[in-house]
Amino acid sequence: MCMRNRVFAVLLFAALSLGPLLAPLHAQVPQEEVEAAYLSKFARYVAWPSTRLPGGAEIQLCLVGQDPFNRKLDEIAAGETIGGRSISVRQVSSGRGAAGCHISFVQGSNAEETRSLLNGLDGLSMLTVTSARSGSVGGMIHFVVRDQRVRFYVDDAEASRRGLSISSRLLALALAVRRQGSR
Amino acid sequence: MKPASSFLVHDRTLPAIAAAIFLLLLAGGAAIVQNEAAYYQQAEREARVKAEILAASISAALDFDDVIAAQEAVNAVRVDRQVRAVGVYGLSGTLFAGYQRGANMLPPEINESWEPGSAEAELIVAQVPVENMGERLGFVHLAADPEPLSNRIGRILLIGLLMIMALLVIVVLGVGQAALRSANRELKARADALTSANSELQVQVEERHKAEEHLRQAQKMQALGQLTGGIAHDFNNLLTVIQGSAEILRRPKLEEAKRFRYADAVAQASDRAAALTSQLLAFGRRQALQPEVIDINDLVTGMSDLLDRTLGDRIEVRTELHCDHCLVEADRAQLESAVLNLAVNARDAMPEGGRLTVITAPVEENGTLMVALTVRDAGTGMDAETLGRVLEPFFTTKAPGQGTGLGLSQVYGFATQSGGDLRIESTPGEGSAVTILLPKSVGEISQQKPCNEAQSSRRSGTILLVEDNDEVAAFAEDLLRELGYSVARASNGNEAIAQVEQCDFDLIFSDVMMPGMSGIALAEELGRLRPGLPILLTTGFSSEIAAAEGKRHRVLQKPYRSATLTAAIDEALG
Repeated sequence: MCMRNRVFAVLLFAALSLGPLLAPLHAQVPQEEVEAAYLSKFARYVAWPSTRLPGGAEIQLCLVGQDPFNRKLDEIAAGETIGGRSISVRQVSSGRGAAGCHISFVQGSNAEETRSLLNGLDGLSMLTVTSARSGSVGGMIHFVVRDQRVRFYVDDAEASRRGLSISSRLLALALAVRRQGSR
Repeated sequence: MKPASSFLVHDRTLPAIAAAIFLLLLAGGAAIVQNEAAYYQQAEREARVKAEILAASISAALDFDDVIAAQEAVNAVRVDRQVRAVGVYGLSGTLFAGYQRGANMLPPEINESWEPGSAEAELIVAQVPVENMGERLGFVHLAADPEPLSNRIGRILLIGLLMIMALLVIVVLGVGQAALRSANRELKARADALTSANSELQVQVEERHKAEEHLRQAQKMQALGQLTGGIAHDFNNLLTVIQGSAEILRRPKLEEAKRFRYADAVAQASDRAAALTSQLLAFGRRQALQPEVIDINDLVTGMSDLLDRTLGDRIEVRTELHCDHCLVEADRAQLESAVLNLAVNARDAMPEGGRLTVITAPVEENGTLMVALTVRDAGTGMDAETLGRVLEPFFTTKAPGQGTGLGLSQVYGFATQSGGDLRIESTPGEGSAVTILLPKSVGEISQQKPCNEAQSSRRSGTILLVEDNDEVAAFAEDLLRELGYSVARASNGNEAIAQVEQCDFDLIFSDVMMPGMSGIALAEELGRLRPGLPILLTTGFSSEIAAAEGKRHRVLQKPYRSATLTAAIDEALG
């Protein structure tokens, strides 16, 4: 208790002293844009089986269902390379066209639809990402807004089951992680 | 022991020690500098590693703009008290998360070409990029304090302490070495001094030897001078008697009684001279004494005429004979010579004249009956020092040429050889008394044979006289003819051999010392030529007498008188 207080005090001091230096990065940025920026970056912290992602192959980022980013994602992904790989973005309506995708952002018009879309992707070795805007149905990574900031939960157990390995660094940023063995 | 400073100053060790100390200081300085440099490198590496670890752990936070996560990672680093400031910067160069102890420790913006400013001058700064999958995401800037000064000073002090100990060791070793060397030098100096002293001593010893040799030589020459001078003196005395007597004998119409007396004086003086030469011979070669039993009073009485004549008118000779029928066993000639010697000494002690007393008395010495013959004078006497030396051979108080220095030592030698002793008493200014002590004899008194009278019967036979000196030859020829022999003369050995080969002789009477063949060689030769031919040799040389006697030849000692010659010839002819 005492320890945590002290840590808090230090944090407060650091925050106060750094306060003027730290730019308010996300204040005016819409949630969708932040999510779009994050989506392309996730590829850096996820390892696919080599059969799923051979050397030199581009990373396919799929928007399953709706496109909430309004073509913004295309711009961001175009300027991003992950370990020498370029990122291609495409829109698919359902799980049927998403077999080659490495990362799928799944968003239906409502929670029910999102769940069915997710179910359509079941069994595919890909990172599924959802947002709280389309209900509490969660993919492996689930965006939420906390303290006016975009944060996410990670379901590491599901990712492992699908043959993916998520970097601990990413896990460290998660609000919570569902790990293997936990229910 | 010298004080330490003095041998330090005068030693070669000093520069060596200084050099060693200088090198040590240099090495110490280098060690400190190297240590510091190594420390800084190490610290920089550590700072870089810390920054890299941080960069790796915050890459995701930076990627996803998670300031809180980044700050948490930064806070983990700040546990390290040496880290003064940590900053995480985005790709744009703006500060993303950070921590600083003290103000203005973090630059507000940073980029690739950032250089440390004055704020970082004293700090160890590491700046590493944040990357993920080859993608640059931003920078981590880390500034750390060097190790606290006290730690470094401690380390330097440790090195310094080691150096001081090493210095002490060097100094102690150097001082020890210097002390040792100084001691060695001192020892060497002492040894040198000893050597030089020794050689000096040797030189002195040699010089002393030389001086002693010179002194011995000088003493020898002095002794020889004294001896010859003394002999001359004694002979002059005797010659005075002989010449004076001969002069009186030449006077015409001399009374018969006077003529006999002066002829007798000549004979006696000649006897004394013969005794003197025999004394000298005895000195060179110990002569065997021919002891006979003598009545001491008779001897003194018999010598009174001689003493009167020898000592002159200024000396009054008195005799006190307290020993009736005192017989001694001694060599008559030697005893007479001893008495004369003492008398002459007494006369010389009384240059103005005076009374000389000859005393005979019986004494008992350690239970033995002895006869004392004392010669007393009323002369100058002797002091204790002189008294202590009078028996030394060649010691004399007389002027050079006046005495041999042999007299008393001869007398002493004679007395002890005869089983007696010599006593000298003297008081300076009152006179001296010298006593000859001789054992009293109980034997029969020997008859002094009147040889020439007893055996005056005329003889016959032919004698070959070998003699190079014509005067001696003429005298001997007269003597032999007077005895009744017919005489042939040869003047050397070869002549003698030639004559022996032609005629027969009953006896060969030959001198020993002759030019050409010596008498001994002649005797040898004749021994082969005519074995059994009697040969009689005669000489005055002591060494020749010894040599001839050594070869079993009969030897007649010169000077000889008719009596002794007759006896020797009779003995030779058997």
